[in-house]
Amino acid sequence: MRADGLLAMLDRWGRNALPGAALLFFVLLTLAPLRAPYLSGALPLLPALVVFQFSLATPERLPGPLLLVMGILLDLLLGGPGAPVGVSALGFVLIRAAVVNNRRYLVGVPFLFQWSGFCLLALGFVVLIWLFTALWTWTAIDPRPAIMQYAVVIALYPLLAPLLARVRARDPLNVPDESRGTARPGETTS
Amino acid sequence: MAIRDDFEVAASQVRTAVQRFSLGLLVIAAFGAMLVGKADSVLVEHARVLALDLASPVLEAIARPVAAANRTIADLKEFASLREENARLREENVRLLAWQTAARRLENENERMRGLANFREGPEASFITARIVGDSVSAYVRGALLNVGRKAGVASGQAVVTGEGLAGRIAEVGENSARVLFVTDVNSRLPVLIERTRERAILAGDNSPQLRLTLLQSVAGVQRGDRIVTSGHGGSFPVGIPIGEVVETGEGSSVRVRPFADFSRLEFVRVVDYGVSGLVGGGSSSAPAAPPAGVRIR
Repeated sequence: MRADGLLAMLDRWGRNALPGAALLFFVLLTLAPLRAPYLSGALPLLPALVVFQFSLATPERLPGPLLLVMGILLDLLLGGPGAPVGVSALGFVLIRAAVVNNRRYLVGVPFLFQWSGFCLLALGFVVLIWLFTALWTWTAIDPRPAIMQYAVVIALYPLLAPLLARVRARDPLNVPDESRGTARPGETTS
Repeated sequence: MAIRDDFEVAASQVRTAVQRFSLGLLVIAAFGAMLVGKADSVLVEHARVLALDLASPVLEAIARPVAAANRTIADLKEFASLREENARLREENVRLLAWQTAARRLENENERMRGLANFREGPEASFITARIVGDSVSAYVRGALLNVGRKAGVASGQAVVTGEGLAGRIAEVGENSARVLFVTDVNSRLPVLIERTRERAILAGDNSPQLRLTLLQSVAGVQRGDRIVTSGHGGSFPVGIPIGEVVETGEGSSVRVRPFADFSRLEFVRVVDYGVSGLVGGGSSSAPAAPPAGVRIR
């Protein structure tokens, strides 16, 4: 049992809070006026990417109720009048559940597999939101912008995922072998 | 001892049950949120406004450096394409001259109308200048967040204009923030006039860059290039704010209008305080509100 110093405590807190903070950041970024023609259109899907990426590694730090709150916040901030509030929350929760239940196909596999997994889940997410928004407002919404969003976020995944994987907090046990050093237990340096 | 063990067993059973059904519970909660939102739109409105007020300082902090960076990039781009820019400006100059003609025509018409008996000038309009601190542009919404709110005198339903023309209307107001619904949004319906023929119509958005002109008495009279202006019916908008021009007149009732405002590069807008409380209350398009009698008479 290691000593619980202040730094260790802060470290643990930080690690636990990181996925949620990253998600909150991307939820707020959704509204940022970036003015990049295709990118800003795809911003609303980035929180879904964050949920997917962190659910792969540390789903326990992104608990369902937090996803619910974040999804509702996203819908409140983004939604126009009449749009359903909570549909993003539903999507987030389902993405997390899908990732957690299919860990063995998604974790520790070649990147291409993860990417195709994300493609599938993001497609489900986009279809879900489109369907609910169309049903809720009872209008035939042009699906082309949604498809465009989907294409952009799929293309962004290979760029963002490694970045998030770096940001993702490393547990001591997750430290790659080469950086652990060669010291054996009980051995002291020189 | 046995009681404690029993308790622990029961507790762990409850825990596993909650874990097993947690997905179901969360899904139910999400649906619950949607249903509450559908049933109690006032509550959702309050929640939206609260979220906007909380988020707008953060967004403003983000918006400034982003705007500066964008300006630098735009400067560099313009430097690279000075020639094309010149050509564009010349073209725009031609367009502006056309606008000037239109303005003269309007002025003349105004003059004539004032000459008529019984004509009463509408209330004076004043402007509130606002910075756009957030885009709420997605596949389903066309709008933006402003850094002014109720404290500055912004109210729901007021018109939001740019230098070029009408951008949209205020949909939600917080203490220090407000949400604009652009005219291109699928929920936007505007009473308009075709400037040349003075014919009334409804201009509707459908989330695409162009607008749709509907409920025309006679589509035949509309030509390409016709300017569309606000009609002032409904009371919350001043008369004659330019919105766009007709770019496509198809068969049937499909008349497409290109808005003058360039939504991709908005940074500052003006909110028109027209001094009339509009009939646009919550900003929902579901119930076509009956115009209040006082407004009709005007």
